[in-house]
Amino acid sequence: MTASGNGAAAVPSAHPARRATELGLVVLAVLTAAGGYVLTSLAKRASLPADLLPFAAGAAALGLVAHLAVRRFAPRADGTLLGLAVLLNGIGFVVIARLDPNLARLQSLWTAVSVAAFVGTLAVVRRVRDLERYRYTFALSGIAALMLPVLPGIGREINGARLWVHIGPLNFQPGEAAKVTLVLFLAAYLVEKRELLSVATRRVGPFLLPDPRHFGPLLLAWGFSIVVMVREKDLGSSLLFFAVFLAMVYMATGRASYLGIGAGLFAVGASLSYAAFDHVHARVQTWINPWPTASGRSFQLVQALFAFGSGGFAGAGLGLGSPGKIPNAATDFVFAAIGEELGLIGTTGIVLCYLLLVGVGFRIAVRTEQPFLKLLAAGLTTILGAQTFIILGGVTRLIPLTGITLPFVSYGGSSLLANFVILALLLRVSDEAARRAEGPAGVA
Amino acid sequence: MNRQIRRVGLVLTGCFVALFVQLNYLQVVSAARLANHPGNVRAVLRDYAEARGQIVTSDGVVVAQSVPTKDEFQRLRTYPTGPLFGHVSGFFSFNLGATAVESAYNGELAGRAPDQQLRNLGDWLIGKEPTGDVVLNISNAAQEAAKAALGDRRGSVVALDPTTGAVLALWSYPSYDPNPLAAHNPKDVQNAFDAYKNDKGNPMLARAYRERYPPGSTFKVITASTALETGTATPDTPFPSLRFLPLPQSDKVLHNFGGSSCGGTLAESFRRSCNTTFGQVGLNLGEKLVDGMHAFGIGEDVPFDLAESRSTGPAAGTFAHNKPSFANAAIGQGDVAVTPLQMAMVAAAIANNGVLMAPHVAREVRAPDGTVIRQIEPKEWKRAVSPATAATVGGMMRQVVENGTGMNARIPGVAVAGKTGTAEVPGGPPHAWFIGYAPADAPRFAIAVIVERGGDIGDEATGGRVAAPVGAQLLTKLLALPPTNPNPTGAPPPGR
Repeated sequence: MTASGNGAAAVPSAHPARRATELGLVVLAVLTAAGGYVLTSLAKRASLPADLLPFAAGAAALGLVAHLAVRRFAPRADGTLLGLAVLLNGIGFVVIARLDPNLARLQSLWTAVSVAAFVGTLAVVRRVRDLERYRYTFALSGIAALMLPVLPGIGREINGARLWVHIGPLNFQPGEAAKVTLVLFLAAYLVEKRELLSVATRRVGPFLLPDPRHFGPLLLAWGFSIVVMVREKDLGSSLLFFAVFLAMVYMATGRASYLGIGAGLFAVGASLSYAAFDHVHARVQTWINPWPTASGRSFQLVQALFAFGSGGFAGAGLGLGSPGKIPNAATDFVFAAIGEELGLIGTTGIVLCYLLLVGVGFRIAVRTEQPFLKLLAAGLTTILGAQTFIILGGVTRLIPLTGITLPFVSYGGSSLLANFVILALLLRVSDEAARRAEGPAGVA
Repeated sequence: MNRQIRRVGLVLTGCFVALFVQLNYLQVVSAARLANHPGNVRAVLRDYAEARGQIVTSDGVVVAQSVPTKDEFQRLRTYPTGPLFGHVSGFFSFNLGATAVESAYNGELAGRAPDQQLRNLGDWLIGKEPTGDVVLNISNAAQEAAKAALGDRRGSVVALDPTTGAVLALWSYPSYDPNPLAAHNPKDVQNAFDAYKNDKGNPMLARAYRERYPPGSTFKVITASTALETGTATPDTPFPSLRFLPLPQSDKVLHNFGGSSCGGTLAESFRRSCNTTFGQVGLNLGEKLVDGMHAFGIGEDVPFDLAESRSTGPAAGTFAHNKPSFANAAIGQGDVAVTPLQMAMVAAAIANNGVLMAPHVAREVRAPDGTVIRQIEPKEWKRAVSPATAATVGGMMRQVVENGTGMNARIPGVAVAGKTGTAEVPGGPPHAWFIGYAPADAPRFAIAVIVERGGDIGDEATGGRVAAPVGAQLLTKLLALPPTNPNPTGAPPPGR
């Protein structure tokens, strides 16, 4: 608290240091992306990119708009999050542009839409607590969103997973939106019921369970989303939802027994789906040993491993590798493309960015007093971190591969949009926490 | 709640640390293994996308070149001369690797050899792709002459410059076209390769330097040289006229060709190619024959710029318990197995006053602008025999052509020195050999000719009847060629 005495003069209306940091980071991130864009073009065509000016201007404009929105709507929010997101987004764009200029054009459009959504979220959601009231709306809309792709007519199957909704010229992955709304629902619901949920009333085997009346809706919502996603063959999202659900219940109740139960449920679910679903079985087999089926079902994983190995420590250089050899290099496998052209230096940098992002997210959660804001920030951060780990672990063969996008980096409009909304919500929580800590204006 | 949040944060951090460890494992620990994995096309693609110099004959004909393409390889290696230089250039293939000059001078062609590095720094600064052109000692005309002389008979023809070791012709029949093997579609390449491999004529075998044959009586050049050099015999040492030579330690005998009676002085026996005489000389020489053979390079790795097969003969220290093998070796049978290149080197050593030069197909490496980066200098490998012995054996070889088994190698107006051979091989007609050089008094060309299995006349074949005319035809054409152009220029390389 900067309480130094009397009156408004002592209380800054904003947090200039944080905003200055943010502006500096955003500028650096835009410069980094522009540099990467130039290097790629030099490597591929030995000339400066023809659209360097529009690219640089566009990137700078988007970064600036996002920054000004934070300055205007969430002046005391953390100063590092936006810079990190812009950097990841920029590197992702450079790699996508290097792989497929057509995708890059779409991605730039989606980036603009996402920044608009970011600004919109900051502008509309002035108090996070207001969202608490709509918890069931969020739950229902999340479930509805998850169900959309299954509907005939608009649902669409791509790469074996039925995740897309196709309306007119638009392809949309509603699961990404569900990600945000379900975390909002969970945070609100868990904060409300956490006292009840932490009181165990029933004993089942070695576990003490809370009253099913309180726990039921939660389990139902979760089970429903899992079932829908298994139907859609989206293992990555299933895993992600499950992990986030568990983490949030644990953070809300403080009861480790939920983790035990969750682990048990996971083991049962995993072995059942391993036995029941061919595609799950295949994923595990290719994880254990991809080499015998290197030209078959583990082709893309093996290609990713080749990309990492060929990249080595320093990488082939932007535009100088052959990441086109990796299937889905612009989406789920974008990290392998980065690994090939930027090497261990680049991949480590990306991982560090995410680590910082997650660290800042949790710091925001810890520093927030209000339980709902706290749990929301922690939940959003967990979903960012878990999604990152699931896909990065998958493409590096640390864990079985489950297709999911890499937040901010992968090509994909829905994912980018959802992640920018998450970012806006985190900044909003951060701003509110800082405001509360510093006291309302004039009453320092 | 904060404690739980921190724990979740800690768990996620742990996950990211594991990720970091795994990345180090992939990109550092097993990076080389993954990068060079046969299934990983990146390294190969990079090599194949690199600019690559030409292989050019000494008379300026392009043997291998890289042509720009639109596909991911960016360049296609083509061989405009097709099968004519197949065994010289070798091929540069995406899935089969590289052979012959493409392999031996890979660094030079790709511009990576040490003497190109400094120069390339400048090229690199001005954005030029560093490459090197390899100029061969072989001229298109000489190679064509070798091909024409052998015709469509399986075998090989080799011509050397005896004073420098320069390989002037290196022809094996049948040959193969390297073009399909350098194509970009791996399936097509494999099919072409399999077709060559399954061809009964074995066209991929570079007979000239990869196949070993019994040399037959051409080996008597070595036996005679060794006898003279060691003082075991002189040209005038008399040998009895025999129909066959009984072999010690065995109940076998050594026959003369056609079972005839043959003998006389060493020189006379050489001219008539008496097996009985040289079998006896071999027995007289004993272990010295092994030394003499080594003096000509047999049993040693030849300092040749392509990967040759090592010629072999009886092992040192085996004479005492296996004398018959030495009698057989002395007439080029039994344990002796030599490449045609090796026999051309034997003729070249006699022609070059007993000095054996290191053979090499490449003459120099040039920068794209034509300046010579590296000259492949003539190098003395061995002194095979003294100049005196070389002169004596040379005289004896001259007699062979003038008035002996090699009369079919005579050329009007030019003195030719030579030796014929008819190598018995199990399971069919003999191999016909001729080695020699011309002009006999100032040698410019040393050659070796082998026609497998008697060529088109089968059992009737002898070296004198089948191989000597090939030698004469080749030498005639070589002697008629204009002197080597010291400054050949290939066709302007495409896309440079």
